[in-house]
Amino acid sequence: MPNANLVDGFLGIHVDDNSPLFNRAGLLYKDFPSDYRQIRYFTLLIVQKAPLEIKEINLLEQQISEIIKNAVRHGNRSMPEKMVKVWYGFSAEQAHLIVEDEGSGFQDLGKWNEFNRRRQAALEGQDREALSALVSYRGPTADENDGGNALFAALEYWNGGFVFTGRKNCVGMLRRFPRRRHLAR
Amino acid sequence: MELKIRKSGESYIIDVNGEMDLYNSYRLKELVMKMLEKKVGRFVVNLEQVDYIDSSGIGALIYICSTIKKANLHLYITNIHGSVKKVIELTKLMSYFPISPTIEEALAKLEV
Repeated sequence: MPNANLVDGFLGIHVDDNSPLFNRAGLLYKDFPSDYRQIRYFTLLIVQKAPLEIKEINLLEQQISEIIKNAVRHGNRSMPEKMVKVWYGFSAEQAHLIVEDEGSGFQDLGKWNEFNRRRQAALEGQDREALSALVSYRGPTADENDGGNALFAALEYWNGGFVFTGRKNCVGMLRRFPRRRHLAR
Repeated sequence: MELKIRKSGESYIIDVNGEMDLYNSYRLKELVMKMLEKKVGRFVVNLEQVDYIDSSGIGALIYICSTIKKANLHLYITNIHGSVKKVIELTKLMSYFPISPTIEEALAKLEV
């Protein structure tokens, strides 16, 4: 199953206001205040709608939690009066989410893509010395509790696309799950 | 998340029990820094009882790994499994981290 984030041999975050990933039709909706202490609780409220057929539910929860954390921490700067809006839909075949915050957008997106391109080149070239400087991306709003690695994993995990709007404060994402063999017949 | 330390020869094993997430991963960094101040030089971080890790947990592992490497000291991470392994694979850091399948194998390498 090809990764939709792959362009010219590199995984990258794309910007496209017209992406079908921003189609909210048929999706459920929740919004939350930007309370850092409750990020995992908010995530569980969303993930509880996922069908039992989805394997690796822990991984799905973790990946959704990362996106909500980014919206709370980096988008809304943990200001409780600012909301995080989430549209979501799950089936046995896919997970589709849209997460929007009230911040000024991911202005470092271009720098991040360039960083990730160098990181992927270091990984492919097995250049351990270069990689040691590229394991974490530290943006202007990062603090010591930020891992700086969530988006690297996001591009791998959300294999059906991980796309920002032009304002860069809203991201749509799709995970296509591998079909189980007995269902694929 | 609970952290327990035990000693085997010249090596120290840190048993991590629970979830390594955005709320508690800093505690592993703090513990390792305290152990470095006490001149500990050989570490095993045992993740056998960890079933959940997020980017903050991965960030904590990156931090202790790079700090110990810069100090020319020694570290192995053991017993990664399940979604923890999947998250490390998604970040493409399986070859970056000094991973050993079991504590016994890690200790054998550290005691050489």
